[in-house]
Amino acid sequence: MTSFAGKILCIDLTTGVSETRSVPEAVYEAVLAGKGLAAWYLYAHIPAGADPLGPENILCFAAGALCGSGSFLTGRWTVACKSPLTGGWGDANCGGLFAPAIKQCGYDAIFVSGVSEKPVYLFCDGRKVEVRDAAPYWGLDATEAENALHRDLDPVCRKKPCVACIGQAGEKLSLISGICNEGGRIAARSGVGAVMGSKRLKAVVLAGTKPMGCADPEAVKALSRELGRKLLKMTMPSGLGVFLGVGGRMMGHLPYLPLDGSLTSLMFKEWGTQGNTSLAITSGDGPIKNWGGTPRDVRLMDMVYNPEHINRIEMAKYHCYSCPLGCGGKLNIRGRQHVTFDDTHKPEYETIQAFGALVLNKSRDSIYEINELLNRAGMDTISAGNTVAWAVECYEKGILTREQTDGLELTWGNTEAILTLVHKMIDREGFGDALADGVKQASEKFGGTEYAMHVGGQEPGMHDARNDPQLGVHYVAEPAPGKHTVGMGIQYGAMSLCDICSWAPPAKLHSKKDDIEDTETMALVSKANACYTMLTDGAGGCYYGQMMGVHMWKLVDYLNAAEGWSYDGDHYMEVGERIQTLRQLFNVKQGYDPAAVALPRRMAGDPPLSDGPLKGITLRNREQVSAHWKAFGWDERTGVPLPETVARLGIPELLSLEGS
Amino acid sequence: MKKRPKFDYLYCVSCGICAQACPVSALGMAKEGKAGKYRNLFPEPVKEGCIGCGLCAKACPMGAIEMEDYEDDPR
Repeated sequence: MTSFAGKILCIDLTTGVSETRSVPEAVYEAVLAGKGLAAWYLYAHIPAGADPLGPENILCFAAGALCGSGSFLTGRWTVACKSPLTGGWGDANCGGLFAPAIKQCGYDAIFVSGVSEKPVYLFCDGRKVEVRDAAPYWGLDATEAENALHRDLDPVCRKKPCVACIGQAGEKLSLISGICNEGGRIAARSGVGAVMGSKRLKAVVLAGTKPMGCADPEAVKALSRELGRKLLKMTMPSGLGVFLGVGGRMMGHLPYLPLDGSLTSLMFKEWGTQGNTSLAITSGDGPIKNWGGTPRDVRLMDMVYNPEHINRIEMAKYHCYSCPLGCGGKLNIRGRQHVTFDDTHKPEYETIQAFGALVLNKSRDSIYEINELLNRAGMDTISAGNTVAWAVECYEKGILTREQTDGLELTWGNTEAILTLVHKMIDREGFGDALADGVKQASEKFGGTEYAMHVGGQEPGMHDARNDPQLGVHYVAEPAPGKHTVGMGIQYGAMSLCDICSWAPPAKLHSKKDDIEDTETMALVSKANACYTMLTDGAGGCYYGQMMGVHMWKLVDYLNAAEGWSYDGDHYMEVGERIQTLRQLFNVKQGYDPAAVALPRRMAGDPPLSDGPLKGITLRNREQVSAHWKAFGWDERTGVPLPETVARLGIPELLSLEGS
Repeated sequence: MKKRPKFDYLYCVSCGICAQACPVSALGMAKEGKAGKYRNLFPEPVKEGCIGCGLCAKACPMGAIEMEDYEDDPR
């Protein structure tokens, strides 16, 4: 027995017909599960030119290969579809408990096609699959809907169900909406919430109790025990967060140092992702003032967003399924200024930066409120923050008038106005209606396209490519552009991929200027990063497991033990390469032009900044992207995978396999 | 003789694998406590109805759960 369920659930909401299909073993061996399984199925079943918000689009909920095997940091679930935001491949992932819930229903993935006439939710307990009326839940925010479903279903289910649902943003087809679980965790990117909303699917509710398999459970548990014992001992003295801003200033001027993965583990355990905020503000990693500012514009803001402030109000850490690290947390925010909720999930770094330094907002309390509002509405905080920052800059520059902003004084750092605008975006009210579809659409309507920070239609994560040019390669070359999670130079330096992959260059101490070059070595670094991330996604792994490095989080050993295989790292990196190439082929099939995607001029350093750690930096992104494509065996000018690459990866044979 | 899980919280990493393995959701991540200096949630019975199946103990990678025998309180 392997850790694959071996089956997928396919349901057509137009007809209400569902069927269970077996997946050939060769598919799992080629692309694992998670994002790989999604790419295999969606490539074959979404017709070219399908309307992302129409019945032909298919929404996939997939668990990773290792989920449920006893492995650690493998509880991520992937949602994938054709993205309404970019017109190409779309995906997002999230933690919580939903991934094992898919497997406990007896499936590796659930594929939803068609459009329902009325709001519905999908219920499955491993024995029956039902499309049920969701009228009582439509209109509720994601947390309210989840709570209401628990209230109604917990008493009649043997096992407490897991719920993934949309909030108001998805219902109102906001192109920057996501899908939520566990009271405001969110698979946020690519506009996946709008696709779910377009199908009038409010929620997927899973209450299965089937056992999850594993080829060698004792070997998998031994790997987990080794990692768990290390992490149990890791503790950082409290209060060190006050030095992060100073550390960031130093990092901004130092050459790149390969990091030990245990350092990232320590930081995530101590603070979670918000530990990056002070570092990012002062080092040049975090965008400031709509990507046009420098640390001089946000003096002392690193102290406002010092993670120790947030740790003080943390009630308890929050762990996703199978995670011994616990980077999440629940915060007590009752009674704070601007705050209307009692508690919230600890805001991620991305949220804090997007509604902090990006818009020059110095109110930490307002970020708690915005975090909870957007998590409940199911709206992506990265995209929303970039869009609000664009609106503020356009208002300051006179492109937007007060009349157009419904009377809002959208000046830099105006907390009240920003909060009101967030409400308007969620409700699609007045000026907020146009902004609810992201910055590309808003700028095409109002002007100010030069200040609209998006890559191929999707707003970039809160990490500046001028600080980490490798990130700029992935922002552009990734089949779902604008995502910050595919690879970074700093991440590569912590992973030690050269120890599992024969062609991955070793991470070395080097000048930041070297990262701008379009050398073969840099192209192999970006390729290795992308392949390992795809492998991680196929396994259902967490990116913070990745960042621990291959010597702590032993993904190759986990896969061999869980599936009964004995492959080496090179084999698994080819699995990642295959998944990435399949996603790019999906884009080509859908008419998405990879060569038309580019970094916003501002982020490419055109013109360069005249101050701060990123002073004078201009990227050679197009050249680096071409080198990256060439390393993948894709056409270096068009980004289209070459026939010999497709054949080498066995993709035609893979696509000829059908679920039965 | 019935069986129920007994937890060694010293080795628990709060991963939640045991609670999710429970087929009747009798186990939950609800016990507040500390792992070193960190405030965490740990597994504990959250409702009546443990069937003594041992799936939680079998699933725990850290070996922090044992199934112990017990008898119903005669009262």
